[in-house]
Amino acid sequence: MWATKSTKKRMQWMWIVFVVLFLMLIGKLVHVQFIQHDLLTKRAEESWDREIPVSSLRGNIVDRNGKLIVGNKLAPTLYFMPAQNDKPLDAAKELATLLGVDEQALAKKMQQKTSIVKLAPEAKNISKELAEKIQQKNIPGIYAGLDYIRYYPYDQLLSRLIGFTGYDQQGLAGLEYQYDDLLMGKASAIRLFTDAKGSALPHVQDSWKDGKDGATMELTIDVDVQKVVERELSQAMVKYEADQAMGIAMNPKTGEILALASYPTFSPPSFSKVDSKIYNRNLPVWMTFEPGSTFKIITLSAALEEQVVDLDKDHFFDPGYSMVEGARLRCWKREGHGSETFLEVVQNSCNPGFIELGRRVGPTKLQKYIRDFGFGQTTGSNMAGESSGILFSEKAYGPVEHATTSFGQGISVTPIQQVQAVSAAINGGTLYQPYIVKNLIDSNSGKILKSYKPVKKRQVIKPETSKKVREALESVVALGSGRNAFRDHLRIGGKTGTAQKVENGRYKDGEYIVSFIGFAPADDPEIVVYVAIDNPKNVTQFGGVIAAPIVGQIIEDVHDKVGITERKGQLEKIYKWGDVEKVRVPDLVGQTKEDIAKLQYPFRLEWHGNGSKIASQLPKADAQIGLDGIIHVYLEK
Amino acid sequence: MSAIILLTLIGIVFVYSAGTYWGKVHYGNTAPFLFKQLIYLGVAVGAFYVVSNSSLLRMEKSWTILYIFSLLLLIAVLIPGIGAVRNGSQSWIAFGPLSIQPAEFAKIALLVKLSFVLARKKSTERTIQLSHFVLILLPAALIMLQPDFGSAFILLVSSFALLFIAGYPIRFYVFLMMIGISGLVGLIMAAPYRLKRIEAYLDPWSDPLGSGFQAIQSLLAIGPAGLFGHGFGNSRQKYLYLPEPQNDFIFSIIAEETGFIGAALIVITFAVALYSGYALAVRTQQLSYYYSVAALISMLGFQAFLNIGVVSGLLPVTGVTLPFISYGGSSLMSAWLIVGVIWNFTKRI
Repeated sequence: MWATKSTKKRMQWMWIVFVVLFLMLIGKLVHVQFIQHDLLTKRAEESWDREIPVSSLRGNIVDRNGKLIVGNKLAPTLYFMPAQNDKPLDAAKELATLLGVDEQALAKKMQQKTSIVKLAPEAKNISKELAEKIQQKNIPGIYAGLDYIRYYPYDQLLSRLIGFTGYDQQGLAGLEYQYDDLLMGKASAIRLFTDAKGSALPHVQDSWKDGKDGATMELTIDVDVQKVVERELSQAMVKYEADQAMGIAMNPKTGEILALASYPTFSPPSFSKVDSKIYNRNLPVWMTFEPGSTFKIITLSAALEEQVVDLDKDHFFDPGYSMVEGARLRCWKREGHGSETFLEVVQNSCNPGFIELGRRVGPTKLQKYIRDFGFGQTTGSNMAGESSGILFSEKAYGPVEHATTSFGQGISVTPIQQVQAVSAAINGGTLYQPYIVKNLIDSNSGKILKSYKPVKKRQVIKPETSKKVREALESVVALGSGRNAFRDHLRIGGKTGTAQKVENGRYKDGEYIVSFIGFAPADDPEIVVYVAIDNPKNVTQFGGVIAAPIVGQIIEDVHDKVGITERKGQLEKIYKWGDVEKVRVPDLVGQTKEDIAKLQYPFRLEWHGNGSKIASQLPKADAQIGLDGIIHVYLEK
Repeated sequence: MSAIILLTLIGIVFVYSAGTYWGKVHYGNTAPFLFKQLIYLGVAVGAFYVVSNSSLLRMEKSWTILYIFSLLLLIAVLIPGIGAVRNGSQSWIAFGPLSIQPAEFAKIALLVKLSFVLARKKSTERTIQLSHFVLILLPAALIMLQPDFGSAFILLVSSFALLFIAGYPIRFYVFLMMIGISGLVGLIMAAPYRLKRIEAYLDPWSDPLGSGFQAIQSLLAIGPAGLFGHGFGNSRQKYLYLPEPQNDFIFSIIAEETGFIGAALIVITFAVALYSGYALAVRTQQLSYYYSVAALISMLGFQAFLNIGVVSGLLPVTGVTLPFISYGGSSLMSAWLIVGVIWNFTKRI
């Protein structure tokens, strides 16, 4: 009737138009919901994110037995969400009082128109107790983000090796800096569910974004050995009013460093209170100086390996000096040692005798041995700031240079190079690369990420030669210049060293670095200990007097920790009585009984009264007493 | 009819879901919209009942009066004191707690009136007549003055769709398109900043806090939902990220909570409604009814397309509600009035 064919057709066209339009809608939905799905999801999450960061744990640093050297402790940081508090000024006032900080700065921060404000530095790394107190006040919009700071169970121990971290837990010095990438974790976060303005939606669950903790670093260090070394060095610093002191203990069979210490030292959290030289210089690898007589071990090894001397049968006459190309090179003993066997030359550390040994080896060969023993280049211990030392260049190496090098003068080496070289000389002749990091471990899974194994660099001398070196050095301790290092049945061997300090290319008058390098037991060395004291005062400046007893004491105190059992067949000591050692009394007042126990003072303490805190002591701090003296301590509650 | 009831039910449910947080924040009540929307629905269904049974409305005279009355309302809304301004447009007339949007009713009155005029045409008369354009442009111009471009656009497009069904020649539409394109080019040449608007539409991320804001927030709702969505009540964007989520952008929330499946279902339901509308049109008893039904159902279709197109980023942002689903008395009322008129005109007496 009314509906003509054409109008119906028009309507069909309309329908087709709509089908096309609606298909476009479906197509667009497919595009948005499937093709752009991931992109939009990412952007949406960015737009929703209200994250309160939770610091991931920085990797722990532990010793070879898993003892914690550096860990983390809880120190929350506060965050504020301005949208959730309509009285930010009141909140700022309350918070400022609790924190004890300036109210104005805090108020300014808390009035910002952002979704979330980090209240730093005012409320960064506050104590757990304070954070709990603030949480109990229930100030709207205040959140405590989990945050951690470094924790040092042994305070200063190893600090010049380990370094410290900065404001955001980034490593700034030492191993903390060197291995920052590995130690640093990836921050986790609590994702708060809020509306667009930042108001909390309490009925919806907040989610947790996973971070990753930093790797645990296991060192070759043995904390027990380290404690002994540091205790001895700190006492020497006091006793001799020295400028600096350093020490290394290493396993000569592997190159694992068991202890590495420098003095003066510092407490990592208050690094800013000391000179940057103290935390930037890891002395045993950084400092170079004339080795002095300890270097004679190299000349001795070369001479024995080249078979140019028979220590027992060959004789030498020392008139107190040796003439080389018209230069008069003196022995440390003015009047000379007279006629002696070459073993006695070693025991007496006789300079003209070593010049003779050097002459017998020859300049080219001695140079080769020095380099083979690792001098002139860094050891590869992978510690930051390692020096390579200075040797004579081949061109400048004339007969005088050859002669002085033979007894350890005119060249410059690092303590770690000496330890590396002497270890090779006494371990059977193999040069091992010293190392400090044993394992890097994934803190979450416990899986070992990287493991460091001993690295053999080369065979420098034959095992039989090495045996002769050990015997000669044992006799130095039992009979010669190193007798202060002697300990019954431990078979300590070693060599003293005394070197004048050099400043701007000239010897400094009256300033010496005295050192001793020792090892034990002489038949099968388990440990090499090196100690150097920079510019000791009030005492004869000889390594044999100052450094040898320290090394002896260290080896005595750690021998059971590194598996040394008492030996038979030792060389018997020719005994001379030395002075009774005197040390200054430390200040114990105010400390607790536990503190004292931890510090391992070498004194006998006699406790009086009840309580846990020390009220007074006798003798007073800084008085001098003998090492076997008694300190009376009075306790209070 | 069942398609429309389904859409209305979906609307009720999602007006509740989408509006809970907005209502809580702005009105202190989690379901202010649901409650009001149910009242509106009651009124709308009542109106549907009256309209679908009124024999008065079957006569052209009644529609002439309604058309003139709606023009008067459109003028009245422009008078300060009578018309209320919301979101920058003076489009509402308030009656106590309820408010109506004259443009919604003007669209219906115009389309039905125009249908009667077109149906009166003798075969000897010219197809294109000036009077048609006068009828269309009067309310369109008044709506533009509010300004309410969305409604004006819907009104124009559905009117031209009606003219198309009534047999306006194809070349007229080609001509219209050319005018449109040259007009667009002219506008851009005259003021290059408009090009930026178009760029902003093509890439809303270029201005995420300005003109692109709503479009982006809408995409952030739809995109992450994927195939199945986050589940009913689990929208995140309704927490003030998307402004007035129960209103124009309700489709975003539906898509966010029910995913592609729910979103596509809505589109298909509209298509079904549209198809049955056209099928009903053929069953009408006179040409004017046929035109009216076809025009009114097309208008609903355009409105749905425009809304979903905007929400999904296919079209630039214009304020158009989603018929039957969006929150709002006028929108719901006009949708049900349209259904009422269609019901009335397709009844067999």
